[in-house]
Amino acid sequence: MSREKLQKLGIDLPLFPTTSVGSFPKPDYLVKARGDFLKGKTSQEALDENSRQATEFWIRKQEELGVDVLVDGEMYRGDMVAYFAEHLRGFEPGGLVRSYGNRYYHKPIITAEVRWEAPITVGWWKYAQSLTAKPVKGMLTGPYTVMDWSFNEFYPDRRATCLALAKEIRREVEALIEAGAKIIQIDEPATSVRPEELPVAIDGLRAVTEGLSAYFITHICYGAFELIYPGMLEMPVDNLDLEMSNSGLDMLELFKRHRFTKDLSVGVVDVHSHVVEEDSVVENRLRQVLEVLPQEIVWVDPDCGLKTRSVEEAIAKMQVLVRVARLLRI
Amino acid sequence: MELILAHHSSFPRIGDGADQQILRRTIAQWEKGEKTDEDLRAAEERVMEWALADQIEAGLDVVTDGQIRWYDPISHLAGKLRGIRINGLLRFFDTNTYFRQPVVHGPIERAETMVVGDFEFAKAKSSRPVKPVLTGPVTLARHSIFKDGQVGGFEQLVDGYTRALASEVEALAAAGARLIQIDEPSLVKHPGDLPQAERSLKALSAAKGGSQLILALYFGDAAPIYERLQALPVDALALDFTYSPNLVETIAAQGSAKQLALGLVDGRNTRLEDTRTVARQLEKIAHRLGSARAWLSSSCGFEYLPRDRAKLKLRHLEAIRQEFLGSAR
Repeated sequence: MSREKLQKLGIDLPLFPTTSVGSFPKPDYLVKARGDFLKGKTSQEALDENSRQATEFWIRKQEELGVDVLVDGEMYRGDMVAYFAEHLRGFEPGGLVRSYGNRYYHKPIITAEVRWEAPITVGWWKYAQSLTAKPVKGMLTGPYTVMDWSFNEFYPDRRATCLALAKEIRREVEALIEAGAKIIQIDEPATSVRPEELPVAIDGLRAVTEGLSAYFITHICYGAFELIYPGMLEMPVDNLDLEMSNSGLDMLELFKRHRFTKDLSVGVVDVHSHVVEEDSVVENRLRQVLEVLPQEIVWVDPDCGLKTRSVEEAIAKMQVLVRVARLLRI
Repeated sequence: MELILAHHSSFPRIGDGADQQILRRTIAQWEKGEKTDEDLRAAEERVMEWALADQIEAGLDVVTDGQIRWYDPISHLAGKLRGIRINGLLRFFDTNTYFRQPVVHGPIERAETMVVGDFEFAKAKSSRPVKPVLTGPVTLARHSIFKDGQVGGFEQLVDGYTRALASEVEALAAAGARLIQIDEPSLVKHPGDLPQAERSLKALSAAKGGSQLILALYFGDAAPIYERLQALPVDALALDFTYSPNLVETIAAQGSAKQLALGLVDGRNTRLEDTRTVARQLEKIAHRLGSARAWLSSSCGFEYLPRDRAKLKLRHLEAIRQEFLGSAR
């Protein structure tokens, strides 16, 4: 583990640090408040108050569960790309496009030069951190994913779009660091979609993180990892957070062939299943990982954000992984 | 070069306005048991009529039913076949859309028609020729889960899908389809599958009767396999130019023994192409193809765009044709 880096940043973590990928389910009152806000029935202030209440709930809950590195739960966000598009200049809200079946989402459109004008997540990070002595991660979506999940009417090509976004997202990272964030996660779930563009994703992330003093994590999920490994080790972060249980830990075979060189946040519970894993299932997954990787580099978390689970399921899944991580520390 | 405007395949089924969300609402209510199968069918047909009207109003010469009833390009067809059950979600190529994966557990058999009913409905409602679209056997097989022991190997799986689709092609031809499009996007990702594709297209071609078979490739660069595509037993090739920096030059250099559907308009991005730039690309191709007929089209279906933007792109096809005709005079 980059323990030296974390220690220099003033963070001392136990073996197998536990964390979560970012999102938690929104309580019913917040879902209703967000719906009312969209219909113009409630004010931004009232919605923010509900979001703060839900953020506090999740911070308290993570502390109670004994999670080591906390998240704010993204109570104030809807979609992970649209949220940033709404707060960066240069985007227009796009119309609805289908994701699958009867599910649709608003896909933003880049229509002008992208500009960061003011902190986007910093206020929420500060609020979450003010509620706990444990470290809270800064949480952002990376430039490659924002590029890939937006329409582009302004920049000449995908690389130019990604690098332009990177320059602006870096300003949000700088603002988080200035506010006191020591651990910052930059999600790039789209990274494995076009394996030939891995260098674009790497260059984008480098432009975001290079020379900045924080412990950086990037989360990647549900893609063809086998096509971007070991190239993905070039991503300029300290920790790769990977969905692993959904894909049957098949990454381990790749790690045997080519040594994994970073810290690894191992997804040990499936976020798309209502079934809460037995402790023995999670323990077995972690023990398989430890047959291949040194224990010092292993963090423990869910495969992805837990926002699609119920509040009870999300808590139960976090409970299991914290319990198992503690067991293995003995 | 005579330029025909042809819709590629899918069309967005909802728009942003509440009045354009009839299908989304009806499906949600149908899932809760609040709407009947007939209600759902009526909503789908209404949206299909909207899609046809949008295409015709935009001046397209060849239209599609918009694939309004399709859950996705894979399970909509595979789910109607015997020997297959439908599994969980997977990403469809490099898009941000997902399909349900077929699991093959026994011999594949066509138990019912797959798209003939939609074709007949669209044909009855359209003043322009309607082109039915089928996902091809190689792409269906590439997206299926199977065990070697159950269906033989990959080749046997392709053969199983081919037999089922050949029956559908025959039925479409009998129902009056003059053009039938077979989508094989997997071929640009897996050019090693070309021999299987050749065998399956030969079987589909034998079933086509008096119709013309179009092979559509997208989500990848077709230029490296362009010469081999020319040898396949189809009447026309529909090509995606958005992944392919050299395809215009490749066609300009090699010509084409087949009719071409030129996917020069990006079906995955909202930006409207510069008409002059596309007209120049068409001129290069026309210089080589002479008086041959070609279709102008989008790179893929329009389902990846919001509905208002898809309508703009449809109209943009006509603007590009006018620019091309103007420059050719």
